[in-house]
Order: sequence, then C-alpha cells, then structure tokens
Amino acid sequence: MSDIQKDNLTAEDVALSINGHFIKAPQSMSVIQALWHNGYPRVKGVGCLDGVCGSCRVMVRRSNSSELKMALGCQVLVEENMDVFFLSFSAPSHHSYDLSEINTSWDVQTQFHEIFPEAEKCRHCHGCNQACPKDIDVELGIDLAVKGRFRESGELFVECVMCNLCMTGCPEFIDPNHVGLFSRRVTGYFHTRPSNLINRLEAIRMGELDVSIEDDEQLQS
Amino acid sequence: MSSSIKNNKQQVIDYDQALNTYLAKDEFPAQDITIDAGELLQGFHPDNIQGTMTKLLVGPNKGDVCHIQIANVLQADARIDASDLAGANIEETDVLVIGGGGAGCAAALTASKAGAKVILATKLRLGDSNTVMAEGGIQASIEKADTPQSHYDDTYKAGHYSGDKELIKQLVMDSPDNIRWLIQQGMQFDLNEFGDLLTRKAGGTSHSRVVYFRDYTGLEMMRVLREAVENSDIDVRHYSPAVELLSSESGSCAGAILSSLKDCQYVQIKAKTVIVATGGIGRVHLNQFPTSNHFGATGDGLVLAYRLGAKLRDLDSFQYHPSGLAFPQHLSGTLITEGVRSAGAYMINALGERFVEELKPRDIVAAAILRECAEGRGITVSSDDAKEKMQGIWLDTPGLEKRNPGILKQRFPKLVNLGLKSNIDLTKTPMLIYPTLHYQNGGVVIDNNGLSTVSGLYCIGELSGGIHGRNRLMGNALSEIISFGRRAGVHAANNRSSRGYKKISIDHISQWRRELMQKEIPMKSKSPILFPDYAKYDADTSNHCEIYDL
Repeated sequence: MSDIQKDNLTAEDVALSINGHFIKAPQSMSVIQALWHNGYPRVKGVGCLDGVCGSCRVMVRRSNSSELKMALGCQVLVEENMDVFFLSFSAPSHHSYDLSEINTSWDVQTQFHEIFPEAEKCRHCHGCNQACPKDIDVELGIDLAVKGRFRESGELFVECVMCNLCMTGCPEFIDPNHVGLFSRRVTGYFHTRPSNLINRLEAIRMGELDVSIEDDEQLQS
Repeated sequence: MSSSIKNNKQQVIDYDQALNTYLAKDEFPAQDITIDAGELLQGFHPDNIQGTMTKLLVGPNKGDVCHIQIANVLQADARIDASDLAGANIEETDVLVIGGGGAGCAAALTASKAGAKVILATKLRLGDSNTVMAEGGIQASIEKADTPQSHYDDTYKAGHYSGDKELIKQLVMDSPDNIRWLIQQGMQFDLNEFGDLLTRKAGGTSHSRVVYFRDYTGLEMMRVLREAVENSDIDVRHYSPAVELLSSESGSCAGAILSSLKDCQYVQIKAKTVIVATGGIGRVHLNQFPTSNHFGATGDGLVLAYRLGAKLRDLDSFQYHPSGLAFPQHLSGTLITEGVRSAGAYMINALGERFVEELKPRDIVAAAILRECAEGRGITVSSDDAKEKMQGIWLDTPGLEKRNPGILKQRFPKLVNLGLKSNIDLTKTPMLIYPTLHYQNGGVVIDNNGLSTVSGLYCIGELSGGIHGRNRLMGNALSEIISFGRRAGVHAANNRSSRGYKKISIDHISQWRRELMQKEIPMKSKSPILFPDYAKYDADTSNHCEIYDL
C-alpha cells in the first residue's frame, strides 16, 4: 500500500480481507468500491453496479460466523473482519433450445423434459436456494416447472438476474435459473396475445396509419 | 456539481429540518408555475455550464463544439500499432457485432436468422449493458386514442425539433412490431385482466404509450435476449473489447481488432459488415456528475467510428435524468425510474413545495431541480465521513403510496429494494434525488438501416444520433435499440454474399496520428478508454490482467 493510500485511512474505516488481501475502506463502500479505493484493479466481474446484471459474484464470510454466503459484490457493503472472495464466471448452460421449434403449447411439457432432463431428479438439497443472492425459492420453481406449471414457476423468477450462482450450487446440473427463464419465456411466447397490440399491428399492415413529417410549423406553434 | 453549492451564499437547509417541513404538510398542491423553458435550460442545464465546451480540431466533425471531456476521448491516440498485429490471428465472418447489450443482441439474432455467420464481441459479459438497467419501459403507440403520428410529434418536439425526421418516422412505425418481436423471444410485459398490454405515460408525451414489465423492463428484456443469443449459432466472445476497427483499401469498415481481457492477446476479425452497438459514455462522468450508466459505458464505439471517418451529430447534448439517487453516498447516481413520477409521485423542495410539473420533458425537470439546489431550496446532507455535502430534492413516494395503496410493491419492486438498501421506508420517508448523467442524445449519423457515413459500418443504439434530437423521451431508447438493431441485422446480413475485402489494415491510424500532430494535440492519452480510470485497468494490463482480477 502506498503512503498516499495510508493517509486516506480514517478512524471510521473498517478492515477486511478481499481475495486474501488486507484492505481498509470507509463503511459506506461496497466491496468493489473498496478494492478501487485501495488501488487494486477490478474490471472483470464488474457490471451494472446496480444489482441487476449478475456479474460481480462474491462469496462472503462475516466475522464470528463460519457460514459462507453468496452475494453480488456491488450490493455488499464492507464490514469489519469480513472475508470476501470474487468468483469467476461459470461456463454457460449446457442446455439449449429454440422456442420456435416448440410447435404448440401442448408440447411444452414434453419438450421441457427433453431439454432439461435433470430437472425431475431434483434431490431437494436447497443448494440453489442457499446460493441465490436474491432469495428466490429456486427449488420450488423447479418443482413447479417439472409439474408443467410454467406460469407459476416463472413468477418466482421475476427478480432473477441470471448470475448463475444456483447453477454452481446444484449437484444435479439442473441449471435452475435457466429452467426459470424457460418457464418465463414459454409463458410469454405462447400466452401473451394482447388485443390492443394486435389491432394496432393490423391497422399498420392495412396502411391505415401513416406518419406525416411535413408540418413543422403547426407542431411548433 | 459541488461548485454551485460552494458559491451559494444562501442559507443551507439540512436534511432533518427539511424532513420536518415535509412531514408537517399533508397536501402538496400543484403550484401555478410558468416556466420559460429556454431560460431555465440556458441557466441551469449542465450542457450549458460555462467553459466546458471546446471545438474539435480533427476528424469529420472538425469545427463542431462538444464537451472538453468528450473531445479528450475522441482526439486521443490509438491503443495499438501495426506491430501489435504481427502475431494476431485473423478470423473471418459475415457480420461482426460489437457490443452485447440490447441493440447488439437484436442485431445479432436478426442477422443470424437471415442466414449470416455472426460473431458477437462484448467487452464484459453478454448482457452487461445499460439495457439491463432500463426501468421505465419501451414506447409503442398501441392505445386506441394514440397513433404513430402522435408518437412522432412527441419525439420530435421533446428533441427540440432537431431530430432526423426520417429516423423518427421509422422508429414510430416499427415500434408496435418491436413489442411483437420481443414477445416472440419470450419476453413478458405487464398486462391487464384481459391480457392487454398496460401502458404508462412518459414525461413530455401526449398519450399513455410506454409498455413495461414492473420497473424491471430492461432486466426482463436482456435476460430473454441473452438466452436467445446463447441458444443460437452466434459465436459470442466475452471479455473481448474492440480496440480498433479495420479498414479496407477503399476505406470501408472491414472488421475489428479485439483485445482479450483474459490473456491480453489481440485477434483480428475480418468481416463483410460491422455493427457497432457499444452504447453511451456516462462513465466519463461529464462535469463530474454521478451516472446511472453501466460500468462499461465509456464511448468505445464512438471513438472507433469517428477515427475511421464516421460523421457524428449533437455531441454537445447529453441527458441528465432528473431522478438519480442523491443519498446515501455509495448509491449516488443510481436511477429511479421516471415511471414513479408517471404514476403520480411529486417532487418537493426543502420548503415543502412543488416547483415544476413532474412530467415535463427530462431536460426541463432536471434543470428545474438544479435551479432549486442552486438557489438554496435544495436539501443538504453530509456524507458519512462529513467530507462531502450532497444536495437534492424529495421524491414523494409516501404520497404516491397514500393515494394508491400497494402501488410501490406491485409496480416498483426494484425501487422498493433500493429503499431497503438505503435504510429508508419509502412509504414513510421520501427519497433524496439529484440529476444523474444518463444518456448520450447525439452520436453517429445513420440512415434508416443504421448505416453510418462509412461504408460497411453500422452504428446502432445509444451510440447513434438523430432520433432523440437534443433530448430523449422515456421508453424511446428501448424502442430504438430493437427497431434499429433488427433493421441493421437484416441489412448487414444481406451483404453476406459479397466477396469481402482483399486487404485489411489499420492504415487509417497513421493518417489520424498525422492530423493529431499537425494540430499539436498531445498524444499522451489513448482511447477507447475501455474502463473508467478508478477501475485501474491500464495499471492492470502491465502485469497481464490475471494477478488480482480473476
């Protein structure tokens, strides 16, 4: 640590360890801000800084606790004696599908079990729930999807940011967040048919609605 | 921003005092306020801060005015030399998409569907973008009383009659079909009991036109588009920022040089067409403002396109979103959706008074907030370490909840979370807000297919200019990325049968350097900057990225 950085430390700073490095930072900082504050580079694993992109996955152990918690680094404020480890991003899901190849909504359940064959093998170990930084009941979501209740399953994943931490936590390689997203996507794809939109598309197709770009003066008056 | 506070000799109203004033009032009637928009903007919009503008000395926009910080990024040296390319592999593709946000994904999906071989390169991970953070929604004129003409009129007017009329017309005619396309990718929207799309009103518009999913519209859009891309034939290159475009003998864009953040190796992608969708430049923190932008929003594509000869427009015009969170400090700049004001939330100053119609266009509302703060009617609060003073005005979420019980939880879950993180019960205490640097209004000049003035080079999304004129409406950014993403994708894919370019090079850099030297511009700094300076990226590359940064 350089002298300049030492000078920046104040009495209110807390001391913690990030990726094994001893760091001090003001209490109001997230663990990412604390790294930058100490002059350490941090580029990969940083994204929106708003808790919605799922990039900055960290493992956190708080003082006087042996429990490891998963979290998003931009959302975790520094605490005294905290241990933080940044996790590199996992490999992409090995499940693949194309919505347009599911011919009708009657086929969704059959197709689901072909695309995600591991889902019905869920052993209810709660690994996914414990890994989720958004406190989603992931396990219930998998249960519902297995039963074909895709709309209900998808509702549970509204706040999912696709950080893939539940993938890491699942011993059966279910890729639970991708199951959740599948549930959401088939619901939209097959069941969202808004009449207000459909009528407007039809009117445009029939040439009933055109746009004139000529009368500037009228607009400005 | 703090300069206006320091220069102000008036009495400062602190947080507790202002909160008591607020709590003592039951009603906040609309004030009879007549605003001279021109005067307000001239006096208080950050674009008009004295001494911040300069003229560009080199490039296609030589002589045009822009912010000094933008000029510094545009008129910098390239990051690479011809010698860097000696060991760099060359790969070929039909379409190269640079940028993994909503525009890039829409373009890649459409081009791939049309049969083109597509490589999508993104600086960080696929989906790391401003799209994922968009909250308010996406505009499409679908309500009975509304028309594409009204959408056009509102957009053109909000942009101060300076937008490109043909582009706006294209946008408004495409918008309803954009929603259909998104639904076909599996995106959900908030619907009423009969399954119709719900809409909300954007500031400065004549009709209710913004369709949405809670205040997670961008998150829902981005996770669906990301999944669609990852389940396609598109070849995605994560952690691969473009550091220079490649040019052909005739000056067309012929690909790009990617730099891997994993091993610091360069690779040359030779492409028949290139679609750049790198977003905006909020992370340069113009005028030292906080920003709502993603970590990677450093204007990379703007720099690369300009250096290759693409004409830009309206570069002196930026959008400061009225409702950035002002406090607590570590969340400063975080966006609070305009949807909250659209639902009826008031803005209230330290005297407990409303001071502007909350649903005026964004530039007016932002300038009005800055005026309240500059004239001593803002609320002042100290940071944790008492080193800094921050200012803002109230966003009256308690009043909104009182008039519409349950609305915060049901429609604005992201905002409710933000309240929890700020230790504020939104139903009881208002939030302190201050304008946050939000959007690059101008950008690369394009045609209706997203093609720039450089052959073979498409620029789409926030990177492009013309649609929003000098001020953007809520919901038009998401409309734009889907509309022009799809158009560019199809158009670029149609070029795939061409032979492609014989020779690719970075010869345009030599010319660029000559011009910089002729104008005696110091070549110390390099661009694109790729990351904000506080992330210490350039310090990191010297020891090859990997020691600390997993």
